[in-house]
Amino acid sequence: MELAQWFLMGVLFTIGVFGLAYLSLLVKLKWYTWVCLFIGVVAILFGIGWAGASFLEGIAQSGAMALMLFSGSGIILMVLTWRYLVAPELNQPGARPTAEGRKSEQ
Amino acid sequence: MSQNDNPGTSADEPTSQPNSSHLDSEETAASGEVLDDVGRRTFLKRATLGGGGALLAGGAAYGFINSEIKGKPVSDYPMIDEAIFKPKDQRATVLGFAHSKALGDMYPERTTQYNRLHNKDFSFQEGFDVMYSIPWDNSKPGYTQMDRALQKAGWEPLVVAGSRMVANLQPNTPLHSWDQSDVEKEQYQFENEKQAGDAIKSAARVFGAVKCGIAKRDKRFDYDPLYDPENDRELSWEKDFPFVPKTVIVMLVPMDYDCIATAPAWTADGTAADGYTKSSVLANQMAKFLRGMGYHAVGAGNDLGSSVPYGILAGLGEGGRNGALLAPGIGPRHRICKVYTDFEFVEYDQPHTWGMTEFCLSCGKCADACPADAIPKMESENGGYGFEPNYEFSDEPGYTWNNHHGIKKFYSDAKKCYNFWVDNGSACGACIASCTFNEPDMWHHIFIMGVTPKSPNILHKWMAEAHPAFGYGRTADPKKAEKFWKTGEGMRTNSDMKNNIGTSNKS
Repeated sequence: MELAQWFLMGVLFTIGVFGLAYLSLLVKLKWYTWVCLFIGVVAILFGIGWAGASFLEGIAQSGAMALMLFSGSGIILMVLTWRYLVAPELNQPGARPTAEGRKSEQ
Repeated sequence: MSQNDNPGTSADEPTSQPNSSHLDSEETAASGEVLDDVGRRTFLKRATLGGGGALLAGGAAYGFINSEIKGKPVSDYPMIDEAIFKPKDQRATVLGFAHSKALGDMYPERTTQYNRLHNKDFSFQEGFDVMYSIPWDNSKPGYTQMDRALQKAGWEPLVVAGSRMVANLQPNTPLHSWDQSDVEKEQYQFENEKQAGDAIKSAARVFGAVKCGIAKRDKRFDYDPLYDPENDRELSWEKDFPFVPKTVIVMLVPMDYDCIATAPAWTADGTAADGYTKSSVLANQMAKFLRGMGYHAVGAGNDLGSSVPYGILAGLGEGGRNGALLAPGIGPRHRICKVYTDFEFVEYDQPHTWGMTEFCLSCGKCADACPADAIPKMESENGGYGFEPNYEFSDEPGYTWNNHHGIKKFYSDAKKCYNFWVDNGSACGACIASCTFNEPDMWHHIFIMGVTPKSPNILHKWMAEAHPAFGYGRTADPKKAEKFWKTGEGMRTNSDMKNNIGTSNKS
């Protein structure tokens, strides 16, 4: 089970990296926005990793606390960052162009 | 907010003027649905750079944690006040005193003073008999017939080997015999000191040690004079001990996490007894190994010398508030054994710090958990840390007879501790179970162990509070005993094979 947990963490890490890389194509963000997003991803992963280890060692309370404190904080940070720092940029005219948009430019 | 809620960003609303402040020319290759070749290259480039950077940062963090859990060498151990320090007489130990009727007769004031100050009618010498005669109660988790059976089974190999009293400082038991008649005449010669140290530690691992360190013999921590409680005989290092020791090999045997978590229930004594058994066998085997290489060696449990300072000298851990050796990774959840030998061509270990003693100054969870109130609390003078005991009644003349004065450490009242054992019907272990450094062997505890030395004291206080909040370290909880007896479900047959799926049962 411990190996399965690390495998899952690797999958989640890869998804997180791909998600942030994709976001970087869609919109240009300030450095501190990236810092907030990065900390959010790390906190979520840290909480999941902690919780997995806690469930494996049989201390479920520790796992629940980790999900609440670490992953929960990460999610809140991500949501707030998205709401106040990412979404306004995405809403700017010209952000996130579509294939149709590019064709019309040409 | 959905994509179509955002003006100017919906898929069917083309942008007529790309905003160069938001996207450079390469980024405009991206589309809401599909990336073209340039977009894919950029995406993969950024994913690789970002992921690689994150992995590098993770690697650096791993390296930092790895470096921290090795500890930092210290040069100021032991801190001794020469004005009050003197070698400790083995007769001035609580378990040794309790084990000897002769000592009870020799020092009656120890008992009368204790009973007067605590308003009790307690007999140290009858304690063990009273303790084991308390009947079980099958309706009380942790105090059932099964828990008593586990406890007695834990001791049984030592009983069979005639070495049970090694836990009570009895020297020269069959497992820790002083007989040196089997020392090989030819002495094995190591190429260098490191090779010798590595070989000894390899053998220690085979015999079951979780940690092994090698210290120079330090007479300050040897009991002097030694004492044979069973025969009421004072023993001399010079006249009675079979050789002049130069080196002390210190080894730790782990105790079961879920079992010690049941403390102070009888269940916890099952793993304590088993720890004594395994550590005695370990010391016996290591001594035999050294004698087989042509060097004199005698194994020891609690006898011959004080185990905690020798463990510190051997670089295995630090002294804790509860008086135990806190070893990184397992905290106080272990039993210590020692092997005295005249072999000295070996690389010695150094005392190290992991910030654990420092942490104890901000924690105090063991003192809160101690049902005997025998451990100095945070509110004590200097937090209970100093060169002299400062627990209750320690200013009464002679009351601290069992403490080794003059060493900077936490002093606890082992008399009250032992008294609780007798009332409880078994040894306790609450100070071990509640310790913030008593953790299962999982990555997140190693992580915390690594960041502890670099974290400020105010954070230590918070970490100490977080420990029980996260579900660790609670004692006197009947559910812990019920839980322990279920932990066999899905048990692996070998702890080294924890990832070998399907070894047994549901694992």
